[in-house]
Amino acid sequence: MKMYSTKEAQSTPAVVTPCMASEARPAPNKLHESNESAFYSSDDAYSPASWSVVSVALLAACGGGGAPEEMTNIGATSPAYQPLLGSSSQPVPSQLAATSTALLTADELMNWAEGAFSVYFPGRSSTQISGSLAYRFYSQTGNYIGVLGSDVLVLGPPTDNKVITVGKLFDFADQVAASGNVQKLTAEEAARFLLQAQFSSSDAEIAAVRQKGFSTWLDEQHNLSRSQSAWDWLVAQGYSAVDINEYFFSTYPGDFASWYQIMGAPDPVRQRAALALSEFFVVSLGGVSDSMNWASFGVARYWDILCTHAFGNYRSLLEDISLSPVMGAYLNTKGNRKEDPASGRVPDENYAREVMQLFSIGLNQLNLDGTPKLNGAGQPLDSYTQADVSNLARVFTGYDIDNTLARSVSPKPPYFQINNIEAARIPMLLDPRQHSPLEKSFLGVTIPANTPGQESLKIALDTLFNHPNVGPFLGRQMIQRLVTSNPSPAYVARVASAFNSNTKGVRGDLGHMFKTILLDEEARGAAGLTSPTFGKLREPMVRIAQWGRTFKIRSLYGYWKIFNAINSNNVQDSLAQSPLQAPSVFNFFRPGYVPPSSVLASSKATAPEFQIVNESTTSSYINYLQGIVALGFGSTDPSVPQIVQGSTAPYVPMLVPDYSVELGIVHDTEALIKRLNLLLCAGQLSASTQQFIAKALAIDRPTIEKSADFKRYHLARAILFVMCSAEYLVQK
Amino acid sequence: MHFLKPETHTRRAFLRRSGHLAIAGTASPFAMSLAAMSEAAAFNATDYKALVCVFLLGGNDYANTVVAYDDANYGKYNAIRAAGAGSASSIALPKTSLAATRLEPRTALAGGRQYALHPSMPGLTKLFNDGAAAVQLNVGPLVVPLTKVQYYSGNTTKYPLPPKLFSHNDQQSVWQSSSPEGSTIGWGGNIGDLALSGNTNSLFTCISLAGNSVYLAGDQALQYQCSPSGAVSAKALKNPFFYEPVMRSAFAELIQQSSSHVLENEYNKVTRRAIAAEAQVSSGIAGVTLKTPFPSGNSLAGQLKVVAQLIGAREKLGNKRQVFMVQLGGFDLHDNLISKQPGLMQQVSEALSAFYSATVELGVASSVTSFTASDFGRTLTSNGDGSDHGWGGHHLVVGGAVNGKSFYGTPPPISVGSTGAPDDQWHVGQGRLLPTTSVDQYAATLAQWFGVAPTELGGVLPNLRNFGEEGGRPDYPVNLGFLRTV
Repeated sequence: MKMYSTKEAQSTPAVVTPCMASEARPAPNKLHESNESAFYSSDDAYSPASWSVVSVALLAACGGGGAPEEMTNIGATSPAYQPLLGSSSQPVPSQLAATSTALLTADELMNWAEGAFSVYFPGRSSTQISGSLAYRFYSQTGNYIGVLGSDVLVLGPPTDNKVITVGKLFDFADQVAASGNVQKLTAEEAARFLLQAQFSSSDAEIAAVRQKGFSTWLDEQHNLSRSQSAWDWLVAQGYSAVDINEYFFSTYPGDFASWYQIMGAPDPVRQRAALALSEFFVVSLGGVSDSMNWASFGVARYWDILCTHAFGNYRSLLEDISLSPVMGAYLNTKGNRKEDPASGRVPDENYAREVMQLFSIGLNQLNLDGTPKLNGAGQPLDSYTQADVSNLARVFTGYDIDNTLARSVSPKPPYFQINNIEAARIPMLLDPRQHSPLEKSFLGVTIPANTPGQESLKIALDTLFNHPNVGPFLGRQMIQRLVTSNPSPAYVARVASAFNSNTKGVRGDLGHMFKTILLDEEARGAAGLTSPTFGKLREPMVRIAQWGRTFKIRSLYGYWKIFNAINSNNVQDSLAQSPLQAPSVFNFFRPGYVPPSSVLASSKATAPEFQIVNESTTSSYINYLQGIVALGFGSTDPSVPQIVQGSTAPYVPMLVPDYSVELGIVHDTEALIKRLNLLLCAGQLSASTQQFIAKALAIDRPTIEKSADFKRYHLARAILFVMCSAEYLVQK
Repeated sequence: MHFLKPETHTRRAFLRRSGHLAIAGTASPFAMSLAAMSEAAAFNATDYKALVCVFLLGGNDYANTVVAYDDANYGKYNAIRAAGAGSASSIALPKTSLAATRLEPRTALAGGRQYALHPSMPGLTKLFNDGAAAVQLNVGPLVVPLTKVQYYSGNTTKYPLPPKLFSHNDQQSVWQSSSPEGSTIGWGGNIGDLALSGNTNSLFTCISLAGNSVYLAGDQALQYQCSPSGAVSAKALKNPFFYEPVMRSAFAELIQQSSSHVLENEYNKVTRRAIAAEAQVSSGIAGVTLKTPFPSGNSLAGQLKVVAQLIGAREKLGNKRQVFMVQLGGFDLHDNLISKQPGLMQQVSEALSAFYSATVELGVASSVTSFTASDFGRTLTSNGDGSDHGWGGHHLVVGGAVNGKSFYGTPPPISVGSTGAPDDQWHVGQGRLLPTTSVDQYAATLAQWFGVAPTELGGVLPNLRNFGEEGGRPDYPVNLGFLRTV
């Protein structure tokens, strides 16, 4: 057997067959001409006897546990493998094949492998580059190791001469790091990662990431069990009581819960992913409160569903949100009945349309890299038609929230009957009598007439889940939420590939997708720090959650009264954004939003968050922050859970920041700015901006003897400077 | 990201606007000069004019807004929407409830067709019957005039369809700009482009009370975004938070700095605009006291009140031509159509009535034209207690320059049938109206009244060339006649 490449072509045996069965495989000489590289094997090779040893060892190294046979299948199905196959059906994004990540270069990986698995990769072989592939060959054993994109490949007698993907570069990064083959992360690199992976960075977290490496640290966070659920938190706060406060009609407990989750809950990586998902699978508290009782609990349950599946599987998430009472109330599956030919009534189409347009496949057929597929005239191809919507609508008939549970009565006139709180938690029920018995034909799938509702739902959700659009459609938007507004097509393709198949060949692994997003070269590499276009505008609600977490905000009274921060009655102080309060299912902004009248418009560059940037919100954000930065969030009645109407009590601090560390250095402007720059900006404030702020703060720099109040306000002014500077606002 | 050179963009914009993009390589300098000359001529006027787009977010249910009233058609409407006699889930309005809002046109419609407005719209009914409002029937996005057979032909080369029909965000964008999500140039903004030079302060040419809306973005014209409470100021620039004035100035400088990073620069550019305009807008609005009462608790009325105040301050702010946008949400009534639409219709009616009265008070009633727009119309069929996404719908135009007390366009047959019968030809399933008037025609009529010259219309409305005499379709005229053009 031999590796077929431009350099080694002369020594290639006469019998050369592609390593994997593929209808689309090109002739070897064609590959050669196009300077593509590939692993090839011959049939007359060695016995694969020893493979299980190396594969298990490498798998263990990358944290996996599947059998070698499974891995062979991964290779065959992994989209990242297309370049190897030379398939012409799928365009290969040029950057798919970048041969290093910021975490680990191909050489670092291969150097390490030579030491750790010298039985298979003996001696010191030199790296060969062929097209986008970097590899080394070991003539003693006949083994190859290579890196293509972020995939680590091996080939040789132990693999039965098949190319096998043993994992991603980042799977090995921490062990390689532990072996001393790579440089330690800087504090800024660690903070940058933390601010993308969660909301904030602290001294301890920065130290942990530097010590453990990105991948291990992230795995640990993914594996942390869920903190107290939002539902249980609401109960513990007292909001499940049926009393004079009528929490079953109120939305403010829901706002308190979601702000607590993103600002205070102890599993911020999960919370950050859930927040990003909540802007893809959108429900809105304000949009359901008049359609159901206990709406606050309904959205808390919804948040819990997002958290439960944030690092689980998309398919389970899709089913749970589709049947959640709050989604039923929001997009009208609740109470949706089958067609009635006598009266002409037809099923409600809302959920069927939006689950396709927004929650799964989107409007356009997509390539793996997220670019639209075009017809002959250069126009995007629609991914579904109105007929698909009308047919899929039949699938979502027959559902309602459980109205059979015992009700209670409001203690206030006119003594409304109140639905059981459990009805806001448990999945909607299917009434087979109201489920459409008609045939349901959509996206090329036909569910036969009279198929039971549960089976119809399974087929429908499976069909959406397996649509090739989901990976690029979801992946690109999650990149936008966490990393950058305009990811390269290659980045999208890598993330979509991760969605399509994790290291065990499983489709829809969201944890793997998020990890791939965060560990990608484009997210981690230094190039983004100097690019004039990389990054994204930090969302207003993320800024506030970051502030709260950075300064360890805590409640003096146990309650957490942060209201819906979209304040239409007081636009002067509105944040223009609040968790789970989007104005519609189209979120606060669209992934395809291009700011008009800007340099971005001329290049059609997207900047979603700018859809809520205008002459009012640039100012009102500063006002919102100014209102909390010195003393925290206040309340007139901090010691009770409810809102006290017409309260005349004084406004007192309720949720307060812990500024003890910063106040200790407040007299040392340079040290203070350095700290704020690291924690809040991952060191992304330029030297000139740091100097500018230092000069401004020097105007009234507090000496040791100035009052505590003065120092606190001086610190507040410093934070306002930093958090209103464009270099902070745009996260790189 | 790949950025075009700004100068390329500007040139492209000029060519596009002057209708020469398609032949950019061969356009004679003479032709271009002519276009430029007519552009300059259009806005030499010394009078004042304003267009106000009232966007109903979510897709308004046309059939319960402008309701079939004559017995024959009401009967059909009721049969389709009532979901069975006496059904609790009927989405048909009772005929008796419509008597007070019956529209009385100057000239009766053919075939005995009659309409009434939603029962909660007495204000707009009065404006219609008094001659200050008109109804445009069945208007919606079209690329070319289209029949149902052509719609279903699948031949999108010959019969191109508007992109992404029935999708909220895209149809909002198509109504405002002829293109789906991601579009950056709208026809309100393009009209604003032509008016820029006539206004002393060009920033106030296009003003949105509705947040970022592509409608008001032109090639040069920006949308200044004002809140329903007027201009929002950063308190830290005024109050003693910064303790030392020098420190306050430093803060002001930092948040307005330019940057080589495009996102940073864009953000601070908006901040710069906000700070520059805030004092002017605040003092302008403060100088205008309106006697006309605007209803409280009505967000649309709140926005229109600020528009009226800004119009009142037009001389102080230096404006002769302005384009405004306001909006009201909540129209996506898949459920609860009967219980929720009345409140919305009432807000629209009361807000537009108050706004019209305010323009009378300010002496500019004939200089200000308001018109409604929405994502799409909805189905005529019921889904139980609401209706689903549609296409064409009925809209209202209000103002002293309106040839009111009249219907424009073609009354669509009340039908959900799918046969080859003539009555079934103007919907594409479940009563989703196939528009008989395009948004481009509707917009062109408004633009011509505003002062856009016929030669400039093509640059403002790219699909207009497929309509009217020049498009070989005189049955789809580029001026619908609902505005007096004097």
